[in-house]
Amino acid sequence: MTPACREIRRNILEASNLSGHGHIPTSFSIVEMLCAVFDTMRHDPTNPEWAERDIFILSKGHAALGYYATLAQYGYLPVKELATFGAFESRLGCHADRLKVPGVEVSTGSLGHGIAVAVGMALAFKISNECRRVFTIVGDGESNEGTVWESVMVAVNLKLDNLTILFDANDSQTRSLQILNPGDRFRAFGCETIEVDGHDMEALMNALSVPGSGVKAVIAQTVKGHGCRTLSNNVFEWHRKSPKSDELPTLIKELEEA
Amino acid sequence: MRKQFKDTTLDLATQDERVVVILGDISHFLFMPFQEKYPTRVYNMGICENALISVAAGLSSQGFHPFVHTINPFLTERCVEQIKLDLCYNQFGANIVTTGASFDYAWDGATHHCYTELAILRLLPGMEVTQPGNRGELDTLIRSQYNNGKPTYYRLSDHGHPLDFPIEFGKANLLKDVGADVTVMTAGPILANVVDACEGLPVNLVYFNTIKPIDREAIERFRRTRILVVQDAHGLHEAISSVPDLSVSCHGLPDQFCAWYGTVHDIRKKIGLDPAGIHAAVLSRIS
Repeated sequence: MTPACREIRRNILEASNLSGHGHIPTSFSIVEMLCAVFDTMRHDPTNPEWAERDIFILSKGHAALGYYATLAQYGYLPVKELATFGAFESRLGCHADRLKVPGVEVSTGSLGHGIAVAVGMALAFKISNECRRVFTIVGDGESNEGTVWESVMVAVNLKLDNLTILFDANDSQTRSLQILNPGDRFRAFGCETIEVDGHDMEALMNALSVPGSGVKAVIAQTVKGHGCRTLSNNVFEWHRKSPKSDELPTLIKELEEA
Repeated sequence: MRKQFKDTTLDLATQDERVVVILGDISHFLFMPFQEKYPTRVYNMGICENALISVAAGLSSQGFHPFVHTINPFLTERCVEQIKLDLCYNQFGANIVTTGASFDYAWDGATHHCYTELAILRLLPGMEVTQPGNRGELDTLIRSQYNNGKPTYYRLSDHGHPLDFPIEFGKANLLKDVGADVTVMTAGPILANVVDACEGLPVNLVYFNTIKPIDREAIERFRRTRILVVQDAHGLHEAISSVPDLSVSCHGLPDQFCAWYGTVHDIRKKIGLDPAGIHAAVLSRIS
């Protein structure tokens, strides 16, 4: 685990402890993906509205705490603001609001929406001949929603080679509707599909480094709660649970040892 | 009205390179000349209405003025959450243009009928809701609102009314003010039946092309009268009733699916929204 990814996870744990909110395991599963996207795309934290920036959309919006911690890591937010997560007048709700948080392009939360908006943005850049890329992280549970697959079909049909879909295969739906063999599914839908270890930064960076010849799908095999075995061994218990102060040191210790 | 929709958007496209039309596999041939002239500005994206609304939000976020178009219930009732979140909550503007109105597809049965969407969409913060009565009104409303950055709904019908008078978005037309105790308020294409029904009756007549924002000033003008709303959809009655302390009743739809076929005229007659049925309803309020 890179120092930055470890620091982001630590900030997630501490913010969740202080606020009493947060989906920690699902945030932990995408930390490397978030860092790889922010290390790849053109963006400027001092000018979040920069006209030539690439776009990132967190379609699985319930991982907002992981998103905020990453935005803080990359200079969009003060780290100390993470402690306000979910508070009444905070900018940082449990699902991100684009009108409140610098760097957030689309307000998400209801599953299956962000990827479709991403398709519209990618199309916009094609129409206006702008060389800008669009990245979106989609959850495997989210992919129970039909709109995910509607969006993939539309994007492939429009040949949006500036769109990269990062699929978080963290096995979140083993108890209900599991998306088995996601790589086969995205390939069948016509995506240029790459399957990687979603916690391997080098593999992710290689997968993201250049646009595809068509819609690119990066199937990232991940572990919910990656970095804290207490979380990864009990993902359903910890799905939306915040660590109490007497639980926090154990989780931090596990994280430091990971 | 569909042809007018194409003519108006094509004309706008010649002046505004940010106009983009998204079709849900309806009006494909109608828009072919548009697509031939501007191949990157018209997309028949397929039968995936929820995604179409969200795609429009993405286009809007980058400065385009999208028009999304297909059959009414599929683009509105089916897509309420996309309209609510991806357009209204995110504050991305788009033009939602449906065809079919309430019963234009009468013969197709209740799956293709749609009468709740005006009432539903008017509840969404930031939403504009129009019900143009004919081609001219549609042209005026689109040109007025299409690029204002707000989500705007236009309900098209194949049975527009034949009356010709100038309209303005958000403004009602006082078609008859005779100082009567009863005021009939109506919206959209059914105005033709309402005018026939009210001929010779001592009533005031107010016509709305816009359900949201509702013209409160026009309503207030008739506050001291008994208001009868006549509409072949839900929406206007609810909008007018949002003004407190009015005496309002409605002659509209029954609380049941209109599970008959035939034509729009057959269904209107069955539920008392033909001229004779409306006439009887107005008479009952007068006496």
